[in-house]
Amino acid sequence: MAYRQFTSQLASIVGKANVLATEEDRQVYSYDGTSTWTHKPDLVVFPTETEHVAAVLKLANENRIPVTPRGGGTNVSGGSVPIRGGIVLVMTKMNRILSIDGANLSARVQAGVVLMDLQAALARQRLFFPPDPQSFLGATLGGIIAENAGGPVCLKYGVTKQYLLGLQAVLPTGRIVNFGGSTVKNVVGYDLVSLVTGSEGTLAVVTEAVLRLLPLPPARKTIIALFDDLPKSGATVGRILDAGTIPAKIELLDNWVVRSINRITGLGLPEDAAAMLMFECDGKEEVVAHDSQKVIEVCQEVGATQVLVAQDAVQAQGYWKARSAGFAAVFGAAPTVLAEDVTVPRSRMPEFIQRVVAICAKAGLEVTVIGHAGDGNLHPSVLTDAKDPAHFQKAQRAVDEIIEAALEFGGVLSGEHGIGLEKQKFMRRTQDPIFIELMRKIKAIFDPNGILNPGKIWENGSGDACEA
Amino acid sequence: MGEHLENIRKFQADVQQCMKCGFCGYFCPIYREEREEKGLARGKGQLIRFALEGQQELSKGFYQAIDNCLLCKTCVQYCPAKTRIDHAVTAARADYAAEKGLPLSKRLVFRYVLPHRWLFGVALRLASWFQGVLPRGQGRFRHLPQFLTALGAGRAIPEIAPRFLRSILPERSTAASTPKYRVGFFAGCATEYIFPEIGAMIVEVLRNLDCEVVFDRRQGCCGAPVYLSGDFATGRQMARRNVETFAEYDYVVTGCATCSSGLSEYSTYLAENAAEKERFERFAAKIKDFNEFVIELLAADLGRLTLKPCFRGKTVTWHDPCHLVRHQNIQAQPRQILQALEGLRFVEMADADRCCGLGGSFSITHYDVSRKIADHKAEAIAACGADAVVTACPGCMIQLRDALSRHKPDVEVLHIGELFTIRSGLADKS
Repeated sequence: MAYRQFTSQLASIVGKANVLATEEDRQVYSYDGTSTWTHKPDLVVFPTETEHVAAVLKLANENRIPVTPRGGGTNVSGGSVPIRGGIVLVMTKMNRILSIDGANLSARVQAGVVLMDLQAALARQRLFFPPDPQSFLGATLGGIIAENAGGPVCLKYGVTKQYLLGLQAVLPTGRIVNFGGSTVKNVVGYDLVSLVTGSEGTLAVVTEAVLRLLPLPPARKTIIALFDDLPKSGATVGRILDAGTIPAKIELLDNWVVRSINRITGLGLPEDAAAMLMFECDGKEEVVAHDSQKVIEVCQEVGATQVLVAQDAVQAQGYWKARSAGFAAVFGAAPTVLAEDVTVPRSRMPEFIQRVVAICAKAGLEVTVIGHAGDGNLHPSVLTDAKDPAHFQKAQRAVDEIIEAALEFGGVLSGEHGIGLEKQKFMRRTQDPIFIELMRKIKAIFDPNGILNPGKIWENGSGDACEA
Repeated sequence: MGEHLENIRKFQADVQQCMKCGFCGYFCPIYREEREEKGLARGKGQLIRFALEGQQELSKGFYQAIDNCLLCKTCVQYCPAKTRIDHAVTAARADYAAEKGLPLSKRLVFRYVLPHRWLFGVALRLASWFQGVLPRGQGRFRHLPQFLTALGAGRAIPEIAPRFLRSILPERSTAASTPKYRVGFFAGCATEYIFPEIGAMIVEVLRNLDCEVVFDRRQGCCGAPVYLSGDFATGRQMARRNVETFAEYDYVVTGCATCSSGLSEYSTYLAENAAEKERFERFAAKIKDFNEFVIELLAADLGRLTLKPCFRGKTVTWHDPCHLVRHQNIQAQPRQILQALEGLRFVEMADADRCCGLGGSFSITHYDVSRKIADHKAEAIAACGADAVVTACPGCMIQLRDALSRHKPDVEVLHIGELFTIRSGLADKS
């Protein structure tokens, strides 16, 4: 095993218990939330303070040891898979909420804080951090920042980068830096907070963040509408927004998912519904009442076959749980699931979904579509089995076509999952070479020896990856 | 790698079910303390999957990973894919035990002591003579001195009872001339040897519910500590013995959450063939937890529950044992009982269904993390302002007593069976 000789030096930095090197420890840090990428690290290191991160990176930089930062390992891009071996730098033990400042609507947290733990602490002070990646039960703030994560409420609230005031991070050379600050307005120089955000752990290791918060909406309401064809559901989304109403979430589920929700939860939704939209309106009581009335009206006008309104918080929670269950069902439905993350302008969504369905039908593949309809971010998931080469190839070709279609519709390759390893072949193919070239140069400034999360985004990581 | 993965294969659907979302991290009590993937349900599941795919040996490190699980099922409860990681872990322990053998201490206890009731009794009686040298703590608890650090330094452990249940309880008790049911009382090890007075009180309640209650002397350990640790062969012997012992009873009732779930799960792990699986399933249908049985028998007649005078005016809270709330879905019944008891005030603690961290022998082999998990429980109990925490698992009681001795020693730990008697019903005026 490579790099074993550094074990004692690392142990002198983070303590003996925080350096792991057994076969089993390496195995369990070889994967993330994707079903296709695995590669074992040589060493697993848990820093418990920023100085540890600095010292580990300094050592790694001097000795050219690859370092892959990792939070909860819930990402679905291959981004935290240590594709070049070396050190996995696990941030989960730096999980203290340092301060919550209601008067300034901000909080200071360590990178390893799990989003749900933060939300629970904030809720006690009637505050919340809006970005809501659906991995909130396991995702850490460091990972959320590295992926610039989004989620259902991004329709109304935006994504992670809009809620960061400042970052403490460590450069791959071991230098501790502080970008941004703690004020909402800050135009001092280049916006390096935004540069690091979404850089997928390739430029710096985030150790602390100052987050921008909002007051917790006092009321919310969940509405479900069923449609007998997809374009109608797409038109509904546009009409609602056009009417000046912005729900916090508009989620779209296709017939496949509706049926599996029924199977799992016994909710008894109409099995012939082609599409289902789930809305959540939030805000002050009277605003929620007004907005949800508008949503119901538009759904009925456009021709929803059924509109259900959650009667209380418990029922609403049941609906959203069912939505998660539907998502889980997709991943349990086949040995390998190619879950895409394309995003198209929301007005073109119905057309795009029809194209996806046609592509898969032609290839004889099963596909399901779940998405954040409000912002055009869709997760078409092609069911296949990586162990069946013929089928798997067919599925990969279909995914290629789906992505081509998304770009043709004026969309992007990835809305919220990131490029990591999973999407890099499309990245190189679909982007202007100057974009890749600029990223390469930026990377070289931050990380002259290329030790930090090597092989990701614009680099070629798949060459020696184990695509199971 | 040529290893025998007979049991893992049997549960491979449970292993493959995991989609690696990592949501279990929020719920796994061990991960919440350690923050290391190997302790997380997903990590254990993946190691087992790698073993299945021939990429992971059944090594010592593998065993350490799958041994580091409380089987509390909290991950199962919240898993969006409904992955039965408890099945996968138990199966992996069995394959490891068959391939490499369990650690010597577990092997000796499982194979020779637990299956032989008389030997267990003798061993504990011998131990009880020596425990006199330990300093006394709260009630019948003693503090372990430093030299017994194997069990956890400074830990409060229960005293072995001066008289075992067998010597204080008659084999047969009934109050009614024509009893409604013939009930086999299953004591369980902790009730028999550590809390015999609780066993006697439970029998008294059942008797006054117009049952003929038999404390059948042929019964042994439920087997859960044995087979859930991976010794399926010994577990199977114990299962067969219990099934045979209780063949003639309408119900088998126990006041131990681990026992009722352990007795109910024979068919999942231990059946050697379809006929035996069916026999075990039939047996499972007769198993009743004490709370469940009391509520079923009293139905709308909860007014017959009478608080013992010594508890009048007290405030109590309920701790959900994992083996009741998640293994058997019993959550409402104990609360119904506590709320029906006139003169008692019931308050909910935060996260009442959170595991206490005992996990049977886990608390001995992993005392540090077990203790940290218990500390959260003790904090929740202390914060809710109860005078006593009530539960229905002697194992949890031992753990809660230990944890509360560090946080709020004056909070009592009670078994629900200690709190009340049954007022005479219409069928029996005696």
